[in-house]
Amino acid sequence: MVFRTFPLFVRNRGPDELWRKRRILKLSAHFHGRSRNCYSIAVRAVHRALVYATKARALKKEDMRALWDARLTAACEEHKFSYSLMRESLSRCNILLNRKVLTDLAIWEPRSFKSLVKLAWSRASQDGLNGVKELGEEPSGVITRGMIK
Amino acid sequence: MSIYKRAQQWTTFTRVWHLFDAKWQNPFESAKIIQKYLAGLHKPIYGPSADTGDHVVVINSKEIALPGDEWQKRVYFHHTGFAGGASWTFAWELHEKDPTLVLKKAIYNSMKGNLYRHTKMERLHIYPDANVPQEILENVTNQIRRPRLIPKRLDEYSEEEVEKFPKLIDYPEDYVIQKIK
Amino acid sequence: MSNNNLFLPVGFPRAPLANGVGRWICQLQRLTFKFCKNYPSSRGMREFLEFELLDFTKKNPGIVVYVKPRRHRAPNLTAEYLNGEKQIVDCRNFSYEEVKKWVSLLRSQSGRGTVRLLKMWHTDHPSIQGPWSPFVNRDPKLNWVEFPNEDLSQPIYIEKSATEKLIEIFEEQQRIERQPKQE
Repeated sequence: MVFRTFPLFVRNRGPDELWRKRRILKLSAHFHGRSRNCYSIAVRAVHRALVYATKARALKKEDMRALWDARLTAACEEHKFSYSLMRESLSRCNILLNRKVLTDLAIWEPRSFKSLVKLAWSRASQDGLNGVKELGEEPSGVITRGMIK
Repeated sequence: MSIYKRAQQWTTFTRVWHLFDAKWQNPFESAKIIQKYLAGLHKPIYGPSADTGDHVVVINSKEIALPGDEWQKRVYFHHTGFAGGASWTFAWELHEKDPTLVLKKAIYNSMKGNLYRHTKMERLHIYPDANVPQEILENVTNQIRRPRLIPKRLDEYSEEEVEKFPKLIDYPEDYVIQKIK
Repeated sequence: MSNNNLFLPVGFPRAPLANGVGRWICQLQRLTFKFCKNYPSSRGMREFLEFELLDFTKKNPGIVVYVKPRRHRAPNLTAEYLNGEKQIVDCRNFSYEEVKKWVSLLRSQSGRGTVRLLKMWHTDHPSIQGPWSPFVNRDPKLNWVEFPNEDLSQPIYIEKSATEKLIEIFEEQQRIERQPKQE
């Protein structure tokens, strides 16, 4: 490039301005008002949006976990069992199903979930966990053959 | 959606009507339970933005029991919006004026203050006694268990039970028992 | 490769199953080895070029191999595929084994490139037992109940009151007292 004066040379930012700005404006296409078209306003909004997106990745996981917990509590209460006891009993039986899978079973495979609750209840009353007696008599029909230890 | 799937959707998202007998129950304890049913937290298909809440019909709200001295001490604040319009009403006064309000406020205040609250409260039907309109009672298909046991009053015990009851001591024969009229 | 890159293209996981059924065509067109003759970060690359490169080229006559010695630069592997995709692997401080593994990976890859994967699972029949509804776990005895029902509104667990416990102790005592007389 040919610069006729030294100040012009120093002030030159380079030929890539269009591409740098286009990269930002591509991300602000769905924003409101001037934030989607004017670069200096868009760049601030885009940076905030990206920061929120970064922070939200952990929050999404937290939210999903809280939802699964709420759903599983509801599903256990329906069978008159306690969610905390169920988790403890299942881990003692070495049934390492996570919250996501348990929720899917509770919603789409309710009979399987019921049998899991029954199994957990048997194990909890066998181990004498805190709070099992208050729930009443354990359900019948669980054949363990002494294998859940 | 096919016909079968539509019917399945209706079955899964049916709104159920529950009944709760508030006789001699603590309204604040009951509120925690009832609020769950109104929000839909008793269903495994619960979602915060999915409206899965159910209806709850509460009867005998006239006979709720507040703990300790709350009947005399608990106050409900109200402001009309105009100057000097602040008023504090005792729980017993409020209960006299409207026997459903103490329980209603307890349930309202146990909920989160978001936009779902009013919708949930609309699904709550409180009646001071057991007289519920027939149209509403017809819908009820489930009963929510009470949190507390109603103790048996002394005059509810039959004479046989009173005689059978083991005694530690007994009055001497010449003791005069004055009957209170 | 981060999944959370906004500029990463998106797609479902695919397998190029047609390639290899009749004839297998290597999708790798060009492999460029850029390394430094002196610097220690290129050591693994240099070892690979010394021992494995000629065998590799003889086994894969369809891949054009370029070797670019560039002074004082970090070593890298550039793979160019038949569909135009380009993949650059930075081999700084790689061991000889690692370079070998990367080369065999680039050779066996389809030219699709890095893609943020979308959920692959879909089913038209998510439930075998039937989805949950309020009637699934409902006791059928409730159908005969007239509401309000006194029995149903009792709490499930009724703790024994002190009076009841005392009565039990009393009756047990009475039973024990009676026994020796019978004997």
